[in-house]
Amino acid sequence: MHNKTLGETIIAVDSVSKTFDRNVKALQGVSLKVKQKEVVVIIGPSGSGKSTLLRCLNGLEETDSGAIVIDDTPLNEHHRNKLKIRTEVGMVFQNFNLFPHMTVRENIRTGPRFVRKASLEEADRTTEDLLARVGLTDKIESYPRQLSGGQQQRVAIARALAMNPLIMLFDEPTSALDPEMVGEVLEVMKNLAIEGMTMVVVTHEIGFAREVGDRIIFMDEGKIVEENSVENFFANPEKERTKLFLSKILENGGCE
Amino acid sequence: MTFVQGLLAGANELRHKAHLFKIRKPFIYEGLKFLFFSFILVFIAVQGINGLDYRWQWYRMPDYFYKISDSGFIAGPLFTGLGLTLLISAISLILSNLIGFITALFRLSDSVTAVAVSRIYLEVVRNTPLLIQLFLVYFVISPILGIGRMVSAIMALSLFEGAYTSEIIRSGIISIEKGQWEAAHSIGLTGVQTYRRIILPQAFGQVMPMLASQSISLVKDSALISTIAIYELTMQGQVAISKSFLTFEVWFSVAAIYLIINICLSMIIRIFEQNKKRQKNA
Repeated sequence: MHNKTLGETIIAVDSVSKTFDRNVKALQGVSLKVKQKEVVVIIGPSGSGKSTLLRCLNGLEETDSGAIVIDDTPLNEHHRNKLKIRTEVGMVFQNFNLFPHMTVRENIRTGPRFVRKASLEEADRTTEDLLARVGLTDKIESYPRQLSGGQQQRVAIARALAMNPLIMLFDEPTSALDPEMVGEVLEVMKNLAIEGMTMVVVTHEIGFAREVGDRIIFMDEGKIVEENSVENFFANPEKERTKLFLSKILENGGCE
Repeated sequence: MTFVQGLLAGANELRHKAHLFKIRKPFIYEGLKFLFFSFILVFIAVQGINGLDYRWQWYRMPDYFYKISDSGFIAGPLFTGLGLTLLISAISLILSNLIGFITALFRLSDSVTAVAVSRIYLEVVRNTPLLIQLFLVYFVISPILGIGRMVSAIMALSLFEGAYTSEIIRSGIISIEKGQWEAAHSIGLTGVQTYRRIILPQAFGQVMPMLASQSISLVKDSALISTIAIYELTMQGQVAISKSFLTFEVWFSVAAIYLIINICLSMIIRIFEQNKKRQKNA
Protein backbone atom coordinates (compact mmCIF):
# COMPACT_ATOMS: atom_id res chain seq x y z
CA MET A 1 0.00 0.00 0.00
CA HIS A 2 2.67 2.41 0.96
CA ASN A 3 4.88 2.27 -2.08
CA LYS A 4 2.42 3.74 -4.58
CA THR A 5 3.32 7.07 -6.14
CA LEU A 6 0.98 9.89 -5.23
CA GLY A 7 -0.08 12.45 -7.80
CA GLU A 8 -0.77 16.17 -7.72
CA THR A 9 -2.72 17.88 -4.94
CA ILE A 10 -6.41 17.31 -5.66
CA ILE A 11 -8.00 18.59 -2.45
CA ALA A 12 -6.80 21.85 -0.93
CA VAL A 13 -8.46 23.11 2.23
CA ASP A 14 -7.19 26.44 3.49
CA SER A 15 -8.04 27.65 7.03
CA VAL A 16 -11.69 26.68 6.93
CA SER A 17 -13.90 27.65 9.84
CA LYS A 18 -17.50 26.76 10.51
CA THR A 19 -19.78 27.66 13.39
CA PHE A 20 -23.15 26.03 13.81
CA ASP A 21 -26.16 27.67 15.41
CA ARG A 22 -25.89 28.08 19.15
CA ASN A 23 -22.23 29.03 18.71
CA VAL A 24 -20.91 25.50 18.38
CA LYS A 25 -17.54 25.84 16.72
CA ALA A 26 -17.33 22.82 14.44
CA LEU A 27 -14.21 23.78 12.54
CA GLN A 28 -11.55 26.30 13.54
CA GLY A 29 -9.05 27.17 10.87
CA VAL A 30 -8.57 23.73 9.37
CA SER A 31 -6.05 23.37 6.53
CA LEU A 32 -5.40 20.17 4.65
CA LYS A 33 -3.99 18.95 1.37
CA VAL A 34 -4.73 15.61 -0.21
CA LYS A 35 -2.87 14.24 -3.24
CA GLN A 36 -4.21 12.07 -6.01
CA LYS A 37 -4.36 8.37 -5.03
CA GLU A 38 -3.80 9.22 -1.41
CA VAL A 39 -5.89 7.58 1.33
CA VAL A 40 -6.33 9.96 4.25
CA VAL A 41 -7.98 8.66 7.38
CA ILE A 42 -9.50 11.15 9.80
CA ILE A 43 -10.00 10.00 13.35
CA GLY A 44 -10.99 11.75 16.53
CA PRO A 45 -13.57 11.75 19.32
CA SER A 46 -17.20 12.45 18.45
CA GLY A 47 -17.91 16.14 18.04
CA SER A 48 -14.36 16.82 16.93
CA GLY A 49 -15.53 18.17 13.56
CA LYS A 50 -14.26 15.32 11.40
CA SER A 51 -17.63 14.63 9.76
CA THR A 52 -18.23 18.33 9.30
CA LEU A 53 -14.89 18.70 7.53
CA LEU A 54 -15.77 15.81 5.23
CA ARG A 55 -19.20 17.27 4.46
CA CYS A 56 -17.64 20.62 3.63
CA LEU A 57 -15.56 18.97 0.92
CA ASN A 58 -18.59 18.39 -1.34
CA GLY A 59 -20.58 21.38 -0.19
CA LEU A 60 -23.14 19.56 1.96
CA GLU A 61 -22.12 22.04 4.66
CA GLU A 62 -21.37 25.67 3.93
CA THR A 63 -18.17 27.06 5.37
CA ASP A 64 -18.07 30.41 7.18
CA SER A 65 -14.57 31.32 6.06
CA GLY A 66 -11.55 29.83 4.34
CA ALA A 67 -11.25 28.21 0.93
CA ILE A 68 -11.72 24.76 -0.50
CA VAL A 69 -10.43 23.86 -3.95
CA ILE A 70 -11.20 20.47 -5.46
CA ASP A 71 -9.38 19.50 -8.67
CA ASP A 72 -8.70 23.18 -9.44
CA THR A 73 -12.35 24.12 -9.01
CA PRO A 74 -13.00 26.44 -6.06
CA LEU A 75 -16.02 25.46 -3.97
CA ASN A 76 -17.69 28.83 -3.65
CA GLU A 77 -21.01 30.58 -4.03
CA HIS A 78 -21.15 29.64 -7.71
CA HIS A 79 -23.75 26.94 -7.92
CA ARG A 80 -22.22 25.59 -11.09
CA ASN A 81 -18.93 24.91 -9.32
CA LYS A 82 -20.68 23.11 -6.51
CA LEU A 83 -22.53 20.85 -8.95
CA LYS A 84 -19.33 20.15 -10.86
CA ILE A 85 -17.47 19.24 -7.68
CA ARG A 86 -20.28 16.95 -6.60
CA THR A 87 -20.02 15.01 -9.84
CA GLU A 88 -16.30 14.50 -9.15
CA VAL A 89 -16.60 13.66 -5.46
CA GLY A 90 -18.50 10.57 -4.36
CA MET A 91 -19.78 10.25 -0.82
CA VAL A 92 -20.73 7.28 1.34
CA PHE A 93 -22.80 7.94 4.45
CA GLN A 94 -23.01 6.31 7.83
CA ASN A 95 -26.66 5.41 7.32
CA PHE A 96 -26.29 4.42 3.65
CA ASN A 97 -29.10 6.79 2.56
CA LEU A 98 -30.13 4.61 -0.35
CA PHE A 99 -33.29 5.73 -2.12
CA PRO A 100 -35.93 3.39 -0.64
CA HIS A 101 -38.41 3.79 -3.51
CA MET A 102 -35.90 2.57 -6.08
CA THR A 103 -34.40 -0.82 -6.79
CA VAL A 104 -30.67 -1.33 -6.47
CA ARG A 105 -30.37 -0.86 -10.23
CA GLU A 106 -32.29 2.44 -10.17
CA ASN A 107 -30.33 3.67 -7.17
CA ILE A 108 -27.05 3.20 -8.97
CA ARG A 109 -28.03 4.41 -12.42
CA THR A 110 -29.78 7.60 -11.25
CA GLY A 111 -26.52 9.58 -11.19
CA PRO A 112 -25.22 8.48 -14.60
CA ARG A 113 -28.62 8.93 -16.23
CA PHE A 114 -29.70 12.29 -14.90
CA VAL A 115 -26.42 13.99 -14.08
CA ARG A 116 -24.08 12.49 -16.67
CA LYS A 117 -26.95 12.22 -19.18
CA ALA A 118 -25.86 8.72 -20.15
CA SER A 119 -28.18 6.54 -22.21
CA LEU A 120 -30.19 3.90 -20.40
CA GLU A 121 -28.11 1.07 -21.87
CA GLU A 122 -24.88 2.80 -20.91
CA ALA A 123 -26.12 3.52 -17.37
CA ASP A 124 -27.28 -0.07 -16.99
CA ARG A 125 -23.92 -1.38 -18.14
CA THR A 126 -22.14 0.80 -15.57
CA THR A 127 -24.57 -0.44 -12.92
CA GLU A 128 -23.98 -4.10 -13.72
CA ASP A 129 -20.18 -3.65 -13.77
CA LEU A 130 -20.21 -1.90 -10.40
CA LEU A 131 -22.51 -4.43 -8.77
CA ALA A 132 -20.17 -7.19 -9.90
CA ARG A 133 -17.32 -5.25 -8.33
CA VAL A 134 -19.04 -5.02 -4.95
CA GLY A 135 -20.25 -8.61 -5.27
CA LEU A 136 -24.01 -7.99 -5.43
CA THR A 137 -24.93 -8.90 -8.99
CA ASP A 138 -27.84 -11.05 -7.83
CA LYS A 139 -29.40 -8.15 -5.90
CA ILE A 140 -29.85 -5.87 -8.89
CA GLU A 141 -33.67 -5.90 -8.80
CA SER A 142 -33.93 -5.87 -4.99
CA TYR A 143 -35.14 -2.94 -2.95
CA PRO A 144 -32.83 -1.54 -0.24
CA ARG A 145 -35.10 -2.79 2.57
CA GLN A 146 -34.55 -6.35 1.37
CA LEU A 147 -30.79 -6.07 1.88
CA SER A 148 -28.64 -6.36 4.99
CA GLY A 149 -26.79 -3.30 6.27
CA GLY A 150 -23.54 -4.45 4.76
CA GLN A 151 -25.15 -5.06 1.39
CA GLN A 152 -26.84 -1.67 1.50
CA GLN A 153 -23.56 0.05 2.20
CA ARG A 154 -21.91 -1.78 -0.70
CA VAL A 155 -24.74 -0.61 -2.97
CA ALA A 156 -24.21 2.92 -1.65
CA ILE A 157 -20.54 2.67 -2.57
CA ALA A 158 -21.50 1.45 -6.04
CA ARG A 159 -23.95 4.35 -6.37
CA ALA A 160 -21.20 6.84 -5.57
CA LEU A 161 -18.76 5.10 -7.94
CA ALA A 162 -21.32 5.18 -10.76
CA MET A 163 -20.51 8.85 -11.23
CA ASN A 164 -16.92 7.81 -11.93
CA PRO A 165 -15.59 10.19 -9.25
CA LEU A 166 -12.02 11.35 -8.78
CA ILE A 167 -12.37 11.35 -5.01
CA MET A 168 -14.40 9.23 -2.58
CA LEU A 169 -15.47 10.49 0.84
CA PHE A 170 -16.49 8.00 3.51
CA ASP A 171 -18.34 9.28 6.57
CA GLU A 172 -18.10 6.55 9.20
CA PRO A 173 -19.18 3.92 6.66
CA THR A 174 -19.16 1.00 9.09
CA SER A 175 -20.46 2.66 12.27
CA ALA A 176 -24.09 1.69 11.68
CA LEU A 177 -23.29 -1.90 10.76
CA ASP A 178 -23.53 -5.09 12.75
CA PRO A 179 -20.00 -6.27 13.54
CA GLU A 180 -20.14 -9.26 11.21
CA MET A 181 -20.88 -6.98 8.24
CA VAL A 182 -18.04 -4.53 8.76
CA GLY A 183 -15.56 -6.77 6.98
CA GLU A 184 -17.36 -6.95 3.64
CA VAL A 185 -17.60 -3.15 3.42
CA LEU A 186 -13.98 -2.60 4.42
CA GLU A 187 -12.96 -5.17 1.82
CA VAL A 188 -14.64 -3.14 -0.94
CA MET A 189 -12.98 0.04 0.34
CA LYS A 190 -9.60 -1.66 0.46
CA ASN A 191 -9.92 -2.76 -3.17
CA LEU A 192 -10.81 0.79 -4.12
CA ALA A 193 -7.66 2.05 -2.43
CA ILE A 194 -5.56 -0.55 -4.22
CA GLU A 195 -7.02 0.59 -7.53
CA GLY A 196 -5.68 4.05 -6.76
CA MET A 197 -8.81 5.95 -5.74
CA THR A 198 -8.22 9.14 -3.78
CA MET A 199 -10.04 8.61 -0.51
CA VAL A 200 -10.83 10.60 2.62
CA VAL A 201 -12.22 8.31 5.29
CA VAL A 202 -13.70 9.25 8.65
CA THR A 203 -13.67 6.07 10.69
CA HIS A 204 -13.07 4.40 14.01
CA GLU A 205 -11.67 1.29 12.32
CA ILE A 206 -8.06 1.47 13.43
CA GLY A 207 -7.23 -1.77 11.64
CA PHE A 208 -8.41 -0.30 8.35
CA ALA A 209 -6.48 2.92 8.97
CA ARG A 210 -3.31 0.96 9.62
CA GLU A 211 -3.65 -1.28 6.63
CA VAL A 212 -4.96 1.06 3.96
CA GLY A 213 -4.22 4.60 5.09
CA ASP A 214 -1.33 6.65 3.76
CA ARG A 215 -1.77 9.40 6.30
CA ILE A 216 -3.75 9.87 9.48
CA ILE A 217 -5.29 13.09 10.66
CA PHE A 218 -6.33 13.34 14.28
CA MET A 219 -8.92 16.01 15.03
CA ASP A 220 -10.27 17.36 18.28
CA GLU A 221 -12.50 20.37 19.05
CA GLY A 222 -12.64 21.47 15.43
CA LYS A 223 -8.89 21.52 14.90
CA ILE A 224 -6.37 19.21 13.37
CA VAL A 225 -4.28 18.14 16.35
CA GLU A 226 -1.88 15.84 14.60
CA GLU A 227 -1.14 14.91 11.02
CA ASN A 228 1.22 12.01 10.60
CA SER A 229 2.17 8.99 8.52
CA VAL A 230 0.41 5.82 9.56
CA GLU A 231 3.55 4.23 11.00
CA ASN A 232 4.49 7.24 13.13
CA PHE A 233 0.97 7.99 14.21
CA PHE A 234 0.58 4.69 16.01
CA ALA A 235 4.20 4.02 16.93
CA ASN A 236 5.27 7.45 18.25
CA PRO A 237 2.52 10.05 18.20
CA GLU A 238 3.78 13.60 18.65
CA LYS A 239 1.03 15.15 20.74
CA GLU A 240 -0.13 14.29 24.24
CA ARG A 241 -3.77 14.54 23.15
CA THR A 242 -3.16 11.91 20.49
CA LYS A 243 -1.51 9.54 22.96
CA LEU A 244 -4.46 9.89 25.32
CA PHE A 245 -6.96 9.18 22.55
CA LEU A 246 -4.98 6.22 21.23
CA SER A 247 -4.58 4.68 24.68
CA LYS A 248 -8.35 4.92 25.11
CA ILE A 249 -9.37 3.39 21.81
CA LEU A 250 -6.71 0.69 21.84
CA GLU A 251 -7.95 -0.36 25.29
CA ASN A 252 -11.37 -0.90 23.83
CA GLY A 253 -10.12 -3.13 21.07
CA GLY A 254 -10.03 -0.65 18.24
CA CYS A 255 -13.42 0.94 18.69
CA GLU A 256 -14.02 4.17 20.48
CA MET B 1 -81.49 -21.15 37.29
CA THR B 2 -82.44 -17.66 36.37
CA PHE B 3 -82.93 -16.52 32.79
CA VAL B 4 -79.66 -14.60 32.73
CA GLN B 5 -77.72 -17.54 34.10
CA GLY B 6 -79.26 -19.76 31.48
CA LEU B 7 -78.33 -17.32 28.76
CA LEU B 8 -74.76 -17.15 30.00
CA ALA B 9 -74.52 -20.92 30.21
CA GLY B 10 -75.86 -21.18 26.68
CA ALA B 11 -73.38 -18.63 25.42
CA ASN B 12 -70.58 -20.48 27.16
CA GLU B 13 -71.59 -23.75 25.55
CA LEU B 14 -71.76 -22.04 22.17
CA ARG B 15 -68.29 -20.72 22.72
CA HIS B 16 -66.94 -24.19 23.40
CA LYS B 17 -68.71 -25.65 20.42
CA ALA B 18 -67.69 -22.80 18.12
CA HIS B 19 -64.88 -24.81 16.62
CA LEU B 20 -67.37 -27.49 15.57
CA PHE B 21 -69.02 -25.03 13.22
CA LYS B 22 -65.63 -23.79 12.08
CA ILE B 23 -66.63 -20.31 13.09
CA ARG B 24 -64.15 -18.25 14.95
CA LYS B 25 -65.29 -17.09 18.36
CA PRO B 26 -64.93 -13.38 17.67
CA PHE B 27 -67.13 -13.82 14.64
CA ILE B 28 -70.09 -14.94 16.76
CA TYR B 29 -69.57 -12.17 19.29
CA GLU B 30 -69.22 -9.53 16.60
CA GLY B 31 -72.29 -10.89 14.83
CA LEU B 32 -74.37 -10.69 17.99
CA LYS B 33 -73.15 -7.18 18.73
CA PHE B 34 -73.90 -6.12 15.20
CA LEU B 35 -77.44 -7.52 15.33
CA PHE B 36 -78.07 -5.91 18.71
CA PHE B 37 -77.01 -2.44 17.61
CA SER B 38 -78.79 -2.69 14.27
CA PHE B 39 -81.95 -3.62 16.11
CA ILE B 40 -81.66 -0.57 18.37
CA LEU B 41 -80.97 1.75 15.42
CA VAL B 42 -83.88 0.41 13.37
CA PHE B 43 -86.16 0.67 16.40
CA ILE B 44 -85.23 4.32 16.97
CA ALA B 45 -85.60 5.12 13.26
CA VAL B 46 -89.05 3.48 13.05
CA GLN B 47 -90.20 5.27 16.20
CA GLY B 48 -88.96 8.58 14.80
CA ILE B 49 -90.60 8.10 11.44
CA ASN B 50 -93.92 7.13 13.01
CA GLY B 51 -93.71 10.16 15.25
CA LEU B 52 -93.29 12.42 12.21
CA ASP B 53 -96.62 11.53 10.77
CA TYR B 54 -95.09 11.78 7.29
CA ARG B 55 -96.60 10.24 4.19
CA TRP B 56 -93.80 8.46 2.37
CA GLN B 57 -94.04 8.46 -1.40
CA TRP B 58 -90.90 6.65 -2.46
CA TYR B 59 -92.67 5.46 -5.62
CA ARG B 60 -92.42 8.99 -7.02
CA MET B 61 -88.67 9.17 -6.61
CA PRO B 62 -87.48 7.32 -9.74
CA ASP B 63 -88.83 10.16 -11.90
CA TYR B 64 -86.24 12.45 -10.40
CA PHE B 65 -83.46 10.13 -11.48
CA TYR B 66 -84.53 9.18 -14.97
CA LYS B 67 -87.46 8.75 -17.32
CA ILE B 68 -87.89 6.28 -20.14
CA SER B 69 -89.93 7.83 -22.90
CA ASP B 70 -90.41 7.13 -26.61
CA SER B 71 -87.17 8.90 -27.38
CA GLY B 72 -85.33 6.68 -24.89
CA PHE B 73 -83.50 7.44 -21.66
CA ILE B 74 -83.99 10.92 -20.25
CA ALA B 75 -81.80 11.93 -17.32
CA GLY B 76 -83.75 13.31 -14.37
CA PRO B 77 -82.65 16.36 -12.37
CA LEU B 78 -80.81 14.37 -9.72
CA PHE B 79 -78.96 12.49 -12.41
CA THR B 80 -77.79 15.64 -14.21
CA GLY B 81 -76.99 17.18 -10.80
CA LEU B 82 -74.81 14.18 -10.03
CA GLY B 83 -73.03 14.63 -13.34
CA LEU B 84 -72.30 18.29 -12.62
CA THR B 85 -71.11 17.48 -9.07
CA LEU B 86 -68.73 14.89 -10.46
CA LEU B 87 -67.48 17.25 -13.16
CA ILE B 88 -66.89 20.15 -10.78
CA SER B 89 -65.29 17.87 -8.20
CA ALA B 90 -62.96 16.35 -10.77
CA ILE B 91 -61.79 19.72 -12.11
CA SER B 92 -61.43 21.13 -8.60
CA LEU B 93 -59.52 18.05 -7.49
CA ILE B 94 -56.93 18.54 -10.22
CA LEU B 95 -56.68 22.28 -9.60
CA SER B 96 -56.56 21.97 -5.82
CA ASN B 97 -53.72 19.46 -6.04
CA LEU B 98 -51.88 21.77 -8.39
CA ILE B 99 -52.42 24.77 -6.11
CA GLY B 100 -51.51 22.68 -3.08
CA PHE B 101 -48.34 21.46 -4.70
CA ILE B 102 -47.19 24.92 -5.75
CA THR B 103 -48.08 26.41 -2.36
CA ALA B 104 -46.15 23.65 -0.57
CA LEU B 105 -43.08 24.34 -2.70
CA PHE B 106 -43.47 28.08 -2.05
CA ARG B 107 -43.63 27.52 1.69
CA LEU B 108 -40.54 25.34 1.65
CA SER B 109 -38.57 27.64 -0.63
CA ASP B 110 -35.79 30.00 0.44
CA SER B 111 -37.59 33.03 -1.00
CA VAL B 112 -39.06 35.26 1.69
CA THR B 113 -41.71 36.57 -0.71
CA ALA B 114 -42.84 33.10 -1.72
CA VAL B 115 -43.07 32.00 1.90
CA ALA B 116 -45.02 35.14 2.83
CA VAL B 117 -47.46 34.76 -0.08
CA SER B 118 -48.13 31.13 0.76
CA ARG B 119 -48.50 31.82 4.47
CA ILE B 120 -51.03 34.62 3.90
CA TYR B 121 -53.01 32.46 1.48
CA LEU B 122 -53.05 29.53 3.90
CA GLU B 123 -54.04 31.58 6.93
CA VAL B 124 -56.84 33.42 5.14
CA VAL B 125 -58.30 30.34 3.49
CA ARG B 126 -58.05 28.02 6.46
CA ASN B 127 -59.43 30.47 8.98
CA THR B 128 -62.53 31.65 7.15
CA PRO B 129 -65.65 29.65 6.21
CA LEU B 130 -65.86 28.23 2.71
CA LEU B 131 -69.33 29.74 2.31
CA ILE B 132 -67.95 33.26 2.84
CA GLN B 133 -65.06 32.59 0.47
CA LEU B 134 -67.53 31.39 -2.13
CA PHE B 135 -69.62 34.56 -1.84
CA LEU B 136 -66.50 36.68 -1.93
CA VAL B 137 -65.29 35.03 -5.12
CA TYR B 138 -68.72 35.09 -6.74
CA PHE B 139 -69.94 38.57 -5.77
CA VAL B 140 -66.68 40.52 -5.49
CA ILE B 141 -63.97 38.88 -7.54
CA SER B 142 -65.95 37.42 -10.43
CA PRO B 143 -67.28 40.82 -11.67
CA ILE B 144 -63.73 42.18 -11.57
CA LEU B 145 -62.29 39.27 -13.51
CA GLY B 146 -65.40 38.87 -15.62
CA ILE B 147 -65.72 35.17 -14.87
CA GLY B 148 -68.90 33.18 -14.77
CA ARG B 149 -70.68 31.34 -12.04
CA MET B 150 -69.16 27.94 -12.82
CA VAL B 151 -65.62 29.28 -12.93
CA SER B 152 -66.22 31.13 -9.65
CA ALA B 153 -67.45 27.98 -8.00
CA ILE B 154 -64.51 25.90 -9.23
CA MET B 155 -62.08 28.66 -8.29
CA ALA B 156 -63.42 29.01 -4.74
CA LEU B 157 -63.53 25.27 -4.21
CA SER B 158 -60.02 24.72 -5.60
CA LEU B 159 -58.53 27.53 -3.54
CA PHE B 160 -60.19 26.24 -0.39
CA GLU B 161 -59.21 22.59 -0.79
CA GLY B 162 -55.79 23.58 -2.17
CA ALA B 163 -54.85 25.12 1.18
CA TYR B 164 -55.42 21.81 2.95
CA THR B 165 -53.80 19.83 0.16
CA SER B 166 -50.71 22.01 0.41
CA GLU B 167 -50.35 21.26 4.11
CA ILE B 168 -50.63 17.54 3.36
CA ILE B 169 -48.03 17.70 0.60
CA ARG B 170 -45.74 19.83 2.74
CA SER B 171 -45.97 17.33 5.60
CA GLY B 172 -45.03 14.60 3.12
CA ILE B 173 -42.01 16.51 1.87
CA ILE B 174 -40.67 17.39 5.32
CA SER B 175 -41.15 13.81 6.49
CA ILE B 176 -38.41 12.72 4.09
CA GLU B 177 -35.21 12.48 6.08
CA LYS B 178 -32.27 14.78 5.52
CA GLY B 179 -30.07 11.90 4.39
CA GLN B 180 -32.14 11.51 1.23
CA TRP B 181 -31.47 15.12 0.22
CA GLU B 182 -27.79 14.74 1.03
CA ALA B 183 -27.45 11.50 -0.93
CA ALA B 184 -29.19 13.10 -3.91
CA HIS B 185 -26.96 16.18 -3.73
CA SER B 186 -23.85 14.05 -3.28
CA ILE B 187 -24.36 12.34 -6.64
CA GLY B 188 -24.77 15.74 -8.26
CA LEU B 189 -28.53 15.96 -8.78
CA THR B 190 -29.79 19.55 -9.04
CA GLY B 191 -32.51 20.89 -6.77
CA VAL B 192 -35.24 20.22 -9.32
CA GLN B 193 -33.95 16.73 -10.09
CA THR B 194 -33.75 15.94 -6.38
CA TYR B 195 -37.38 16.94 -5.92
CA ARG B 196 -38.56 15.11 -9.00
CA ARG B 197 -36.61 11.85 -8.70
CA ILE B 198 -36.01 11.43 -5.00
CA ILE B 199 -38.19 13.53 -2.71
CA LEU B 200 -41.60 13.80 -4.35
CA PRO B 201 -42.04 10.12 -5.26
CA GLN B 202 -41.43 9.24 -1.62
CA ALA B 203 -43.47 12.14 -0.23
CA PHE B 204 -46.52 11.40 -2.38
CA GLY B 205 -46.30 7.72 -1.51
CA GLN B 206 -46.54 8.66 2.14
CA VAL B 207 -49.40 11.16 1.96
CA MET B 208 -51.55 9.35 -0.62
CA PRO B 209 -54.11 8.23 2.01
CA MET B 210 -54.42 11.80 3.33
CA LEU B 211 -54.77 13.27 -0.16
CA ALA B 212 -57.44 10.69 -0.87
CA SER B 213 -59.50 11.60 2.18
CA GLN B 214 -59.09 15.23 1.18
CA SER B 215 -60.70 14.37 -2.16
CA ILE B 216 -63.68 12.97 -0.27
CA SER B 217 -63.95 16.24 1.66
CA LEU B 218 -63.91 18.07 -1.64
CA VAL B 219 -66.89 16.12 -2.97
CA LYS B 220 -68.83 16.86 0.21
CA ASP B 221 -67.83 20.54 0.29
CA SER B 222 -68.98 20.92 -3.31
CA ALA B 223 -72.56 20.86 -1.95
CA LEU B 224 -72.00 24.45 -0.80
CA ILE B 225 -71.77 25.80 -4.34
CA SER B 226 -75.51 25.25 -4.61
CA THR B 227 -75.72 28.58 -2.76
CA ILE B 228 -74.60 30.46 -5.87
CA ALA B 229 -77.22 28.67 -7.96
CA ILE B 230 -75.05 26.06 -9.58
CA TYR B 231 -77.38 23.23 -10.46
CA GLU B 232 -75.34 20.42 -9.01
CA LEU B 233 -76.65 17.55 -6.93
CA THR B 234 -77.66 19.49 -3.80
CA MET B 235 -79.25 22.32 -5.78
CA GLN B 236 -81.21 19.87 -7.90
CA GLY B 237 -82.37 18.24 -4.68
CA GLN B 238 -83.64 21.56 -3.35
CA VAL B 239 -85.44 22.28 -6.60
CA ALA B 240 -87.00 18.84 -6.60
CA ILE B 241 -88.27 19.38 -3.06
CA SER B 242 -89.77 22.75 -3.80
CA LYS B 243 -91.67 21.23 -6.71
CA SER B 244 -92.76 17.97 -5.11
CA PHE B 245 -92.61 18.44 -1.34
CA LEU B 246 -90.90 15.03 -1.13
CA THR B 247 -88.54 16.51 1.47
CA PHE B 248 -87.31 13.36 3.14
CA GLU B 249 -87.26 11.14 0.07
CA VAL B 250 -85.16 13.63 -1.88
CA TRP B 251 -82.73 14.45 0.92
CA PHE B 252 -82.26 10.77 1.70
CA SER B 253 -81.64 10.09 -1.98
CA VAL B 254 -79.16 12.94 -2.29
CA ALA B 255 -77.35 11.81 0.85
CA ALA B 256 -77.25 8.25 -0.49
CA ILE B 257 -75.71 9.45 -3.75
CA TYR B 258 -72.96 11.34 -1.92
CA LEU B 259 -72.43 8.27 0.22
CA ILE B 260 -72.08 6.06 -2.85
CA ILE B 261 -69.64 8.43 -4.58
CA ASN B 262 -67.44 8.60 -1.52
CA ILE B 263 -67.59 4.90 -0.75
CA CYS B 264 -66.54 4.25 -4.35
CA LEU B 265 -63.67 6.73 -3.87
CA SER B 266 -62.60 5.01 -0.66
CA MET B 267 -62.69 1.65 -2.37
CA ILE B 268 -60.57 2.84 -5.29
CA ILE B 269 -58.10 4.26 -2.78
CA ARG B 270 -58.01 1.00 -0.81
CA ILE B 271 -57.39 -1.06 -3.93
CA PHE B 272 -54.64 1.34 -4.89
CA GLU B 273 -53.07 1.07 -1.43
CA GLN B 274 -53.23 -2.71 -1.42
CA ASN B 275 -51.61 -2.88 -4.83
CA LYS B 276 -48.83 -0.68 -3.55
CA LYS B 277 -48.38 -2.85 -0.46
CA ARG B 278 -48.29 -5.97 -2.60
CA GLN B 279 -45.70 -4.41 -4.90
CA LYS B 280 -43.63 -3.49 -1.87
CA ASN B 281 -43.71 -7.00 -0.45
CA ALA B 282 -43.04 -8.67 -3.76
